[in-house]
Amino acid sequence: MPFVSQTSLQSDYTLFSSNCPIVIDNGGSNFRIGWAGETDPRIIFRNIVQRPRHKATGETVTIVGDHDPALMKYFDCTRSSPRSAFDSNVVYQFEIMEYILDYGFERMGADGSQVDHPVLITECVCNPVQSRSKMAELLFETYGVPSVAFGVDAAFSYKYNQQLGICDKDGLVVCPGFTTTHVIPFVDGEPVYKACCRTNIGGFHVSDYLKQLLSLKYPHHMSRITWEKVEDLKMEHCYIATDYASEARLFQKGGKEAEDKTRCWQLPWVPPPVEGLPSEEEIARKAAIKERQGQRLREMAEAKRSSRINELENELQGLEFLLQQLGNVEEKDIACFLAETGYVSKQEIESSRAKVMQSLRKAKGEPKGEQAETEEKVDPSAAEKYPLINISDNMLTPEQLKEKKKQLFLKTTSEGRQRAKQKRFEEELERERQNQQDEEKRLENPELYLEQLRAKHRELSEKVEQRKRHKTNGNHTNGNHNLSGGVGRGERLNAAQKERMRLLTTAAFDRGKGEDTFGARDEDWQLYKLMSKDNDEDEEGPDAYEAELARISSRLQDIDPNFVSKSELVPFQPVVEVPSFRPLSKEDFQIVFGVERFRCPEILFHPNLVGVDQVGVDEMAGVSIRRLPSRSQGLNERMTNSILLTGGSCLFPGIRERLEAGIRMIRPCGSPIRVVRASDPVLDAWRGAAVYAASLQFPGQTFSKTDYYEKGEDWLRRYTLRYTL
Amino acid sequence: MKNKDLALSHKAPLQMEPEVIEAEMVLPTYLSFKKVQMHEKYPKGQARGRHWKHLKQIIQAENYQNYPPDEPNYVNIESPPSMNPCKKICDITGFEAPYSDPRTTLRYANTEVFKHIRLIPNESVQRYLALRNAQVVLK
Repeated sequence: MPFVSQTSLQSDYTLFSSNCPIVIDNGGSNFRIGWAGETDPRIIFRNIVQRPRHKATGETVTIVGDHDPALMKYFDCTRSSPRSAFDSNVVYQFEIMEYILDYGFERMGADGSQVDHPVLITECVCNPVQSRSKMAELLFETYGVPSVAFGVDAAFSYKYNQQLGICDKDGLVVCPGFTTTHVIPFVDGEPVYKACCRTNIGGFHVSDYLKQLLSLKYPHHMSRITWEKVEDLKMEHCYIATDYASEARLFQKGGKEAEDKTRCWQLPWVPPPVEGLPSEEEIARKAAIKERQGQRLREMAEAKRSSRINELENELQGLEFLLQQLGNVEEKDIACFLAETGYVSKQEIESSRAKVMQSLRKAKGEPKGEQAETEEKVDPSAAEKYPLINISDNMLTPEQLKEKKKQLFLKTTSEGRQRAKQKRFEEELERERQNQQDEEKRLENPELYLEQLRAKHRELSEKVEQRKRHKTNGNHTNGNHNLSGGVGRGERLNAAQKERMRLLTTAAFDRGKGEDTFGARDEDWQLYKLMSKDNDEDEEGPDAYEAELARISSRLQDIDPNFVSKSELVPFQPVVEVPSFRPLSKEDFQIVFGVERFRCPEILFHPNLVGVDQVGVDEMAGVSIRRLPSRSQGLNERMTNSILLTGGSCLFPGIRERLEAGIRMIRPCGSPIRVVRASDPVLDAWRGAAVYAASLQFPGQTFSKTDYYEKGEDWLRRYTLRYTL
Repeated sequence: MKNKDLALSHKAPLQMEPEVIEAEMVLPTYLSFKKVQMHEKYPKGQARGRHWKHLKQIIQAENYQNYPPDEPNYVNIESPPSMNPCKKICDITGFEAPYSDPRTTLRYANTEVFKHIRLIPNESVQRYLALRNAQVVLK
């Protein structure tokens, strides 16, 4: 039930005589103004002011209260945010206060040269005299008000309810407001401010807490979680649990009860246009198109290949022709003959011919045969190339020895190459075999396989992340030693750099023996090898991991329809990740809140949940009773027998029972406790003030402008209203 | 003379869209019941509003220590800290939290939450801590 503002222009201002006071409830959330003696305030609006620029004219205008967002689009609100005149519950910004009063009086239909009615305005408990005097000055000087009275809204509410019979003349009023919560004891119908108690937690803090929690839980919907929406949510859905711990356990178990208590807010979402299941003809048609495209590509490839083959054949023919001609030409003419063709010698022609033959064979698509050919070519030539190896040393001449060395060297290298080729071949076979096995495993038990693969992927991604973090040492302030002193040198160096520093410092460390003996031994120079940046062995490890990770990711992407390769996918309830690889569904645009419903108003009872080191509402009652100056036993019992809940923030369901339970814990066993809610927690303060202002003794409680100037600030400080008239 | 001219000039209504005028949401610049208009009090161009004292300064200027301590004033009616031990709830889920993470000082309820804590970026960690006023403020 959001608060509704009433801001229609009142037309009967002139009907009221100058004696009729105007009653203003100047609250942290809403401003209410009306005539004394009436049951409802005439004008209600939110106590905020905005000064946006009108887009069309460029003028800066003032807008008081909250208005229809559709109309706000005519204004440029980027530079102006809603501002309140309050700091906690004290008015400090009187320029804003003036705008608000302007609007209030104007809506009441005020005309004439001044506001010619006494004004009763509410303030906070023990308002600092500066704020009070500035308010009085504003009313006297700018509006020409004849007389002013200040009162406390909670007190008015209590008096009103006392008249209704809901509470007694001795009692306690508990008023959770917008920014603060007060507990004021009443003795003989008068508030005892000495024993009053104030905690700086109110509805504002509850809303703010809810807003922060939802924003942190759904970071990608942060822009839709606005203040106004959060307040609406709070008013509609939040409640106070009778016992926080058991309620939390209920949700932790996650049973049906918890489900029922969880609310879900569906954000507007447009499903992506679904193509619909393609019908049979569609599929067939698409398949046919694909087939045709494939065919075309194959034809093109064929054509290219055949043209290349033709080219090569032509070249081969040319070369053979050349060779033939060479055979026919005489010895001495070879040189000039060859000069024309561009080849230097016969061997060159032959080698290029061999190359062309090879490429021709490749183009024709006989790779294996070609390899075998070259292998064969190598082997026989090996036997003939290295004839000298088998002959023992002492039978050879020095030149032949040199020849032999060369041949030995060539033989070993070629053998090495062969062995490498063999190993590669074997590895290929091995991989093939593994893939085969994998396929079999997959076919026989797809689910299990998928699970295993996913688990492996997760592990690997974690390891890679860790490795990365370990290397760069992260930009997180992870270590405790990083929290103090800001950025330390330890943050910037990774493991390898640290190692290098360590080596350098140990090497340079002067052991105090006088001489520097570094370098005397050969092993010392190994230090540089260890330090060398090229020699960073750390690089190899993660590469293997990363390669493995890549392989598994690609595999998963092939076979798993739900795979998301983001390494930070956490399928966990508190925070929802937007999966970027599957299409967004309706659930992604839902904001679910269950625990937050009762976690947020809990701060009224436990302010240290938000870091405010004060007592909660239930304990405040105890503190207040303890602070009472005259404590007779009967008085305490009468106090707890009539506890009134008033103020906007007491509208949470369940607060009454919780407060009763809380107070029972701190009072002696068996003492009477009765907690009642005000008849209308929101409007009762105004109503009480209106009734008060309508009474005949009211003028005796006001002070006029002359009073204000004559009696001075000290008198103003001590000014309090007498509530029992 | 000058003031009258100013007053007259401000009487002319601003040119606005019809629905805005109908909603009467904009505060008129001239109000008859005011002795001093806003634009006179706070002329354009001057630094407006920056000279207002905040609550802390107001309280300080009140000099409550000069007055007898049993007289109620804004400061001494404030509530004391709680006598009960602080209730520890998980920063992320709101359940009861017997454990706290040594690295980030966040409180958590079980191992799943803990895994999540270790994955979120530092900015989120600080925002969670700020919820209970425990964030790290680097000066």
